[in-house]
Amino acid sequence: MKRILACIDASSYASSVCELAAWAATRLSASVEILHIVQRKDAVAARKDLSGAIGLGVKSELLEELTQIDEAEGKLAISDGRVLLAQAEKLLVAGGVSDVSRLHRHGSIVDTIIEREASADLVVIGKRGATSEFDSDHIGSSIESVVRASVKPVLIASRKIQTPNIIIVALDGSSAALKALDFVIASPLFTGMQLHLVAAGPKGTADKSWFVKAYSRVVDRSPSCIIHIADGAPQQVLGDYMSTRRDAILVMGAYGHSALRTLIFGSTTTTVLRTVRAPVLLVR
Amino acid sequence: MFSIATLRREWLSNPRGDILAGIVVALALIPEAIGFSIIAGVDPKVGLYASFSIAVIAALVGGRPGMISAATAAIAVLVVPLIRDHGVEYLFAATILMGVLQMIAGFLRLDLLMQYVSTSVVTGFVNALAILIFTAQLPQLINVTWVTYAMVAAGLAIIYLLPRLTKVVPSPLVAIVVLTVVSIYGGLGVNTVGDMGQLPSSIPYLLIPDVPLTLETLRIIFPYSLTMAIVGLLESMMTAHIVDELTDTPSNKRRECKGQGIANFATGFLGGMGGCAMIGQSVINVKSGGSTRLSTFVAGSFLLFLIVVLGPLVSQIPMPSLVAVMIMVSIGTFSWKSIRNLKTHPWQSSVVMVVTVVVVVWTHDLAQGVLAGVVLSGLFFASKVKSLFTVTSNLSADGACRTYRFSGQVFFASTELFTDAFDFKEVLDRVVIDMSDAHFWDISAIAILDQAVLKFRREGTSVEVVGMNELSAKMVGRFATHDADDPTQRPADH
Repeated sequence: MKRILACIDASSYASSVCELAAWAATRLSASVEILHIVQRKDAVAARKDLSGAIGLGVKSELLEELTQIDEAEGKLAISDGRVLLAQAEKLLVAGGVSDVSRLHRHGSIVDTIIEREASADLVVIGKRGATSEFDSDHIGSSIESVVRASVKPVLIASRKIQTPNIIIVALDGSSAALKALDFVIASPLFTGMQLHLVAAGPKGTADKSWFVKAYSRVVDRSPSCIIHIADGAPQQVLGDYMSTRRDAILVMGAYGHSALRTLIFGSTTTTVLRTVRAPVLLVR
Repeated sequence: MFSIATLRREWLSNPRGDILAGIVVALALIPEAIGFSIIAGVDPKVGLYASFSIAVIAALVGGRPGMISAATAAIAVLVVPLIRDHGVEYLFAATILMGVLQMIAGFLRLDLLMQYVSTSVVTGFVNALAILIFTAQLPQLINVTWVTYAMVAAGLAIIYLLPRLTKVVPSPLVAIVVLTVVSIYGGLGVNTVGDMGQLPSSIPYLLIPDVPLTLETLRIIFPYSLTMAIVGLLESMMTAHIVDELTDTPSNKRRECKGQGIANFATGFLGGMGGCAMIGQSVINVKSGGSTRLSTFVAGSFLLFLIVVLGPLVSQIPMPSLVAVMIMVSIGTFSWKSIRNLKTHPWQSSVVMVVTVVVVVWTHDLAQGVLAGVVLSGLFFASKVKSLFTVTSNLSADGACRTYRFSGQVFFASTELFTDAFDFKEVLDRVVIDMSDAHFWDISAIAILDQAVLKFRREGTSVEVVGMNELSAKMVGRFATHDADDPTQRPADH
């Protein structure tokens, strides 16, 4: 049986993560594991004591104090997390998923997700976490780290979800994009959905021979697929194309470049994630 | 794992707290660096350069973010004879070799040896360190006028009372500033830092220690380097453990070993003395809100800024104010709980702790203290495990055969218990020694079994050993003489 790992936190994305996970689970007839990670604010960083004086029994006192701060916050975070998990389970069961399990863990977001995805076939996560929810033009700080470290396909939920009917595959001539295309063709997740191939590139890149190569892969399986080729920055082309198709899900190969290059030049993946307001499936 | 996320977490997750904590720590490093240069008998600049370089390098390559490393008491007290007999250049050479040894220790995973250092030994080490730091201040307090005592007392009063009013400024810094101003304008005639030797006037530069590159040099410095490397790693591992506990985050001890090695190696070439992690300053760092590599880095670089730019002012600092800060560090390092626990803990733990302290204070060598503590706790452990040993025996109905059933651990310390268990004077045809529940640990255990079997044979009794578990059987098969055929061939009955 296939397994889906749905990662939720206190942000408003939790419900769309559940909807999306339920959609995927019913199509794949998969079980869903809901993961919530208890985050702890760093008690050390929260201190405002710059006196620098250390006196009798300072080590044990300090340890006690830090433990108390963490303990109080931890207890609260745990009970909040339980409520979140219960709500998510309800949503998933209502969405028609029969096999739902809950998982409540301490630790770092990225490390825990990577640890748990080993036994999953698909990871579903919100575009932003609770800490960056207000900032609607950015993606959450953990997403990129999760996607970079992950070896499984990651489905990123937008705030509002319509049941996907259209599948849009973004092509840019990279091997990552072809891999994503192969995944779409092979996966039962997308059977019966209409396939759109969208290619974009800077103006004047006339050579679209790679596009023919991509098309030849899908033509047997999905002869009715729709093709859209446009000049322009990928995020713009995709954004325009998707704004008229609200019930679409975007599939693309993720982070083809190294972290260092991304640091300097920025990443297409990140930019697209930021602008597109629909679920995005990233295939590594 | 090297990744941007790790870098960000280890450097930039808490910049405000880290920078402030780093500055507070830099101020707490000055008295220690100067103080221990004086103990070691070198110019304050040797200790200050070392503190700068070790802190900065350990921030970059160490394995425990948020831990403060610099020139320390533990190392300073070790090198006094080296500097006295051979001069400061040999100290630099010894520091370089110390770094090399620590790097080797890192590659050989010697940090794992810390498993054998018990809590009582760690407590003893920490307490001994506190005592060393305190006694190192005594030369400044002997043969001086009452003014010195008054200044130390005033310094301590500021350090401990000011935080009750405000926690925004580091109280040790206030103490130093106030006492410096008083001593400059009051003309009190106490010793100042400037009287203690040369202060740095520039950033450190690379130099090759001026020692002959001969075996003779190696013979002189090697014993010192070895002890320095051991003591440095011990204190660093213990401090890393304390910081792990306080911040509830893991650390990479192996990387820390290598990091300490690299830091000392480089510091030797910059004209600094060896160093290691500092318990007191690391606690100050965490207490002030520092937890990443950034705070350690800031501590080191701000220290350099202070001493290079503010050098003339630093030389005016009266020694009593530094003594007050060092007394604070000593009080903060000492584990006061351990005094209370002396009564409640098992007597063996207390003995281990006290012996560690006494040996260190006696020899001025933390390595010897830890060695004594470890050996002693090993002995106590052996004597406790020895009692996990019982023997029962029963005689067969016809009175010709006796079965001895052993259970528990048999090793070098159980020799006497083991032989006492047998009654060799009893007249029997056959003796069965049933080892089903026992384990033989070493060749001493095999030897006593041998002895017993041979003794029975001389009385004309035949002996059968049964039920040995596999490991024990292997040992007996390899080392025992009583039985020519291989006991591993015999089926064990469990």
